Amino acid sequence: MEQEIKKPYKIQSAKIMKEIMGNYFLGMKDTTKKIAWCTSVGPAELLRSFGFEVHFPENHGALLGATRTATDLIPEATKLGYSSEICSYLTADVGSYLKKQTPLTEHYGLEGPPKPDLIVYNTNQCREVQDWFEYFAKEKGCPVFGIEPPRYVDEVSNEAIENVAAQFKSLIPICEKASGQKFDIDKFRETIRLSKEATDLWKKVLWTARVSPSPISFFDATIHMGPIVVLRGTQMAKDYYTTLLKELEDNVVKGIGFLEVEKCRIYWDGMPIWGKLRPMSELFAANNAAVVASTYCNSWVFDAFDPKDPFESSALAYTEIFINRSENAKEKILKKLIKDFNIGGMIFHEAKTCFSNSNSRFGMPLRLKNELGIETLVIEGDLCDLRFYSEGQTTTKIETFIEQLS
Amino acid sequence: MTNYYQGIDIGSSYTKITVIDENDCVTYQNIIKTLNRDKQELANIISKIKSDFNIVSICATGYGREHFKDSHINKTEIYCASVGVSALYPELKTIIDIGGEDIKVIKSGGDSKVDDFYMNTKCAAGTGTFIIEIAERAELELSLLSELAAKSEFDKELNSFCTVFAKTEIMKWIFDEVPEHDLARGIYISIVNRIAKIRMDKALPIFLIGGVIQYHPFLKTIVEEKFKQRVVVPENPQMINSFGAALLAKKHALTEMKINAI
Repeated sequence: MEQEIKKPYKIQSAKIMKEIMGNYFLGMKDTTKKIAWCTSVGPAELLRSFGFEVHFPENHGALLGATRTATDLIPEATKLGYSSEICSYLTADVGSYLKKQTPLTEHYGLEGPPKPDLIVYNTNQCREVQDWFEYFAKEKGCPVFGIEPPRYVDEVSNEAIENVAAQFKSLIPICEKASGQKFDIDKFRETIRLSKEATDLWKKVLWTARVSPSPISFFDATIHMGPIVVLRGTQMAKDYYTTLLKELEDNVVKGIGFLEVEKCRIYWDGMPIWGKLRPMSELFAANNAAVVASTYCNSWVFDAFDPKDPFESSALAYTEIFINRSENAKEKILKKLIKDFNIGGMIFHEAKTCFSNSNSRFGMPLRLKNELGIETLVIEGDLCDLRFYSEGQTTTKIETFIEQLS
Repeated sequence: MTNYYQGIDIGSSYTKITVIDENDCVTYQNIIKTLNRDKQELANIISKIKSDFNIVSICATGYGREHFKDSHINKTEIYCASVGVSALYPELKTIIDIGGEDIKVIKSGGDSKVDDFYMNTKCAAGTGTFIIEIAERAELELSLLSELAAKSEFDKELNSFCTVFAKTEIMKWIFDEVPEHDLARGIYISIVNRIAKIRMDKALPIFLIGGVIQYHPFLKTIVEEKFKQRVVVPENPQMINSFGAALLAKKHALTEMKINAI
């Protein structure tokens, strides 16, 4: 079938982002700097206040997925006894370590992820991070600290905030020892302030997609979220989102969107299928279907950060994240987003190896369909392991779904 | 000159072609293996159709739809099934399409609209491939399966979600000397029970389409027993999606290409 060739929509700020992300990874080469590893929704601000450069193993996992190297690396971890049905970020990252293969070498000249002086995880998103980070702490012979907040909360209670804030505080002496620096509350307030400003800008970036035609798609956002994940608490992240927001707002004023005409507006729930971002993006675009909002990209919107109460506010911010909420609370959040973004259909990606971030498993799609009158679709796949993904079947499902919405 | 419209359904096992005239009457149908290494066979068929009919629009469907370069539009087989069956039976219904590698359960409006749809998960259990694999392990002649099953009152099923494990399961039946006709019925029950695990509106009549029902007509009896509903198998159930595609090719010609019906 002949298809009309359209001028591709490009977000120009992507060039700046590429440079920032490159500098971030190249910065890890500096052996004089202390390195902390941290979960992506962990207390990065506290670590940065001690001068640590922060490496995020989930970011490395996503890179292994996006470069489609994960599927070759996962079996290495499986041979070590890690099931191929647990988090494929974990198995890909462990496999990468065992096989001594990483795209960081080709892209940034790094032998691998930087050697850690401290490893910190937060089980606010799943239990796998505990096993994952403990494994590397043993391998690297470095201290490890786990934050274990109350899980699957409906609303975050004051007791929960006190509990998590106390855990953050008990991390201080460990950070002081590993970094050789004394804790400075003003530095912590400053990183929280920078994080707050960056996350507010990131939220505004995502919220530009409320307009039709939207200037940013879910697939674009999965790329542009890099700095808010790995550079929270830095001026660079804040500056980047200031630039990106301006470009997108200008496009809104000019009426330029990533699609000229949006036949329907779709919400993506769950993890991206990292190795299939481009074909997925092209599939929706070819059908004039705009995927404009997602649970995933919203996960780095932290409304609660407040420099005046850095411990309590970050404890709240990191405990009230979507993935750590009850089914009831998740449903309320989704309903609001569906309304705010004028969504007609919702796709749930049921990731085989990510139980925590697959929200189709407790009846949510049918409840939202019945209560809001939107169409819902469940597709099966995975964040990294493409053995769990069937392109033909998924394409048929998505195209039929778009036909239903149009 | 009379205008004709072509639908081509490139499925995982077979490619089906239907040509209709201005009155939606089927004037030509053909079926060949999709993975035929002799690409010339399909090219010859397409070429013959072109010389015999004034084809003004082509719609491709099925898993291979994107690979057919001559189509004017491509539509999913789910939509084509809904259009094809609704043209013959304009009522609210459930369509169950059992193909070579998947099962599709479609809630279809009388106006052809797909109200809802579900597909089996990735494993082939419950599909045409499942029957071929299991029948081979049980040394049953595929073409005789329906006839054999009709002689049985067996009520057991193969439980495994995995086709390979189901093959191991049927070995237990063979070791237990379960008769051939019971094995045949057991295979069919397994397929229908797999369909029953997919969400569907129990109040609606069921229309069975696809290659599996074409070659295994006894499945209809098992579906009736299981769902206690009116079950209809349209004529040439394997060709329905290509018929739906031909109808959509015609709609495209009339609305988008502005070709006037004579």
